[in-house]
Amino acid sequence: MPSLHKPADQEKKNTPHALLPFLQSQSQNTLTRLYQRPSSCLSIFRLLAPLERQIVMNLLWLESAITTSTMMAWVQRDGRKLYEEALANLSRLHILPSSAAKLALNFIFKTSLRQALTGGGTSGSFGVPAEKDDKRSGPDLETLDSFALERWETILHYMVSSGTGQQPTKPSQGVLFLLQRSGLMGNLYGGPLQITSVGFQFLLHSPHAQLWDLLLQYLHLAEERQMDLVEVLGFLFMLSTMELGREYSTENLSTTQKAMLEDLRDYGLIWQRRPNSRRFSPTRLGTTLTSSSPPLPTTTGVGSGTREGFIVLETNYRIYAYTDNPLQTAVLNLFVTLKYRFPNLVVGMITRDSVKKALMNGITADQIISYLMTHAHPQMRKNNPLLPVTVQDQIRLWELEKNRLKSSEGYLYTAFTSQADYELVLNYARQLDVVLWENASKRCFFGSLEGHSRIKEFIERRTQNPNS
Amino acid sequence: MDASSHLSVVLDLPPAQWHRSAHHTQPLDLPSFLSHVLVFLNAHIANCAENSLAVFGAFPGNSLMLYSSADPVPEHLPIDPDSYPPFVHLDHAISRRIHAHLDALDSDTSAQPSALVAAITKALCYVNRLSTTNAAKPAGTAERDLSILPDPRLLVLSVSPDLATSYIPIMNSVFSAQKLKVTIDVCQVFGPDTVFLQQAAHLTGGSYIHLERRDALLQYLIMAFLPPPSIRKVLAVPTQDKVDFRAACFCHKNIIDIGFVCSVCLSIFCQPVPVCSTCRTKFPIKTLQRLNQSRPHLPSTPNGPGASTPRSNPGTPRMPTGTNGSAVARSISTSATPQNNNAAKPTLPTLSLSPRTVLRRCQTPNAVMYTCPSLPV
Repeated sequence: MPSLHKPADQEKKNTPHALLPFLQSQSQNTLTRLYQRPSSCLSIFRLLAPLERQIVMNLLWLESAITTSTMMAWVQRDGRKLYEEALANLSRLHILPSSAAKLALNFIFKTSLRQALTGGGTSGSFGVPAEKDDKRSGPDLETLDSFALERWETILHYMVSSGTGQQPTKPSQGVLFLLQRSGLMGNLYGGPLQITSVGFQFLLHSPHAQLWDLLLQYLHLAEERQMDLVEVLGFLFMLSTMELGREYSTENLSTTQKAMLEDLRDYGLIWQRRPNSRRFSPTRLGTTLTSSSPPLPTTTGVGSGTREGFIVLETNYRIYAYTDNPLQTAVLNLFVTLKYRFPNLVVGMITRDSVKKALMNGITADQIISYLMTHAHPQMRKNNPLLPVTVQDQIRLWELEKNRLKSSEGYLYTAFTSQADYELVLNYARQLDVVLWENASKRCFFGSLEGHSRIKEFIERRTQNPNS
Repeated sequence: MDASSHLSVVLDLPPAQWHRSAHHTQPLDLPSFLSHVLVFLNAHIANCAENSLAVFGAFPGNSLMLYSSADPVPEHLPIDPDSYPPFVHLDHAISRRIHAHLDALDSDTSAQPSALVAAITKALCYVNRLSTTNAAKPAGTAERDLSILPDPRLLVLSVSPDLATSYIPIMNSVFSAQKLKVTIDVCQVFGPDTVFLQQAAHLTGGSYIHLERRDALLQYLIMAFLPPPSIRKVLAVPTQDKVDFRAACFCHKNIIDIGFVCSVCLSIFCQPVPVCSTCRTKFPIKTLQRLNQSRPHLPSTPNGPGASTPRSNPGTPRMPTGTNGSAVARSISTSATPQNNNAAKPTLPTLSLSPRTVLRRCQTPNAVMYTCPSLPV
């Protein structure tokens, strides 16, 4: 995300994409079947880290395997570690053989990625377009965008207002089940669905991360439902390589993929005129799955045109949010005490109570700060640092307040007969670095659990032969 | 995901030179060259969905923008179920425009040398426009600009030999590239090494490759020119063994080993002159005599023996005789050397400089050594 603050951006760079660990946990057989589709190869290739992508590219057009030393000659001395890590990651995805003397790409992956780059073949993996319908033209971009936005915000809004007694529109049964299964919502004591602390954290993520979080849960669910994972993943990857605003035919989809259409429609990834229509169009949520461009056209309401940030935060903890979007207002309400509402503006204060409430829900201070940074108003971006330091520090301090007490298990040693005895044992305990607290006037100290057996042994030894 | 990067590519497409290339001992004709390049361009787009691309063509006599990833998507193109739509648009647009342009060439214009410098300049202007339009956006602060256009690169795929007249414009492009923080990579696909492009790559921190295995063009392109600078810190790219730093003189446009430099405006001349053609500084007659005496006995042609560095432009067309010093002076004073042009008015000829230093004899540095891992081709 270009709008993120720099350190957060770099952090993001180092963490692999959320899907990769899932792929790495799959069997070689599954992956090999997945690699048969050029569109899947292209999408997986895009999810890799930059260095891994370059290594794949270097090897892609070589007919024969090359020795590891030849490739090593290209690596700068400082980059050895990064290079080794990249190779290990690739071999976990079975793109490269693990620890061989020669480097060569997985043959099927190589063939498919070559085919993706040059075009051709007969796999039809990039989606078969629907025949032109003379009576009705396909959906325009606005329809698709507003559809995706409406579906996505319904889900989020349902989550955020679940505990507040409001009655927002319910998403479909499938979505509710997925939310419950993923632990984002749960029903305590058989009551209605309530958002969990994981769910609160989820709300503050970027839409892109949220989407992949849900899709990952969907993949886990698909495994349990005995759906063919290769088909499911292949369909998602195909969506990500499709062109926005075109209509595609459902004819060539497998049964599994046809069953997925309904679920994906509920999430807002695809648009269909009628539920049993023979054609579908991917929305922006679908086509940006493997890119980093914003998946939603605008995250504020349809009325106000601010695309980027909307939050202004002042040093006096007052927050102005230029939005008329109920979802954003509800998310802000998680950690802000709202004061006034105007047609396009919400004013609130960040107070100790409001932040404490958020912390109780399981949201961390860093998440609040990064949410404020991501959605900062363009005017705020002129400031350096972006957010007032006082407010940032105070939010962190409030979080620390929660952790004033720290408990650790151990033993209290008291009733030493003489000061000398006390000091002898205390010194021994200090050498072991197990003293947690001491009080010389009361002749007692508290040692941690690990040191107890040795201190006990030491005291016993001293009492048996006090002169040694 | 990671930041996107911008790549501009300049394709050198003079038909005569490509005809020669196709009948070389290692033949590489234009269609197969284009198919290699298109796959390379696809690979750049495949790297990251936000990667931007601009392709420029240098034809005899004029240059043309062939493709830009900001172009609107053509509506009429049918979707091929077996290929990724952006690749289809790219391939289609580039091959269509190249063919249309080559067909339109008549015999007069096709004899002209290729407008490589014009294409390079256009590519730099395009990068500049990208960065300024981003800055002009209300939300665009410095931080955002960097994220949108982090490390623009320019790749020149050249087949033409050095054109001595293009020394000054190339150097001007190098200076603007340095200012825009553009890395210039050069691949000499056919023909002898070009001194000027070699210098351009060296000065902007890019890589220069003279293609040896011409059938392995794609592998060269991918290994050396695909990685953005951040990756080059980990995976090395080949750099030059030797950089030929020779310059072309401003008076006759010859490539020279030993030149004479005006100490006021740094103009380069192949022989001692009484008056600097650029800034009109008059040099003392004594200096001229001394410099003339100290000149090594060199033949008057620039391509004679006596240079230790490899000759790179045996086929360089000579300057048309019509261009005299004053014309050059105008072109320089507007661009290349914005120094003391006005300070050195004719009324104040040598200023306070001592006569000994007014016109200096300079030897251009010869070579810089680098390590170069061999390509696994």
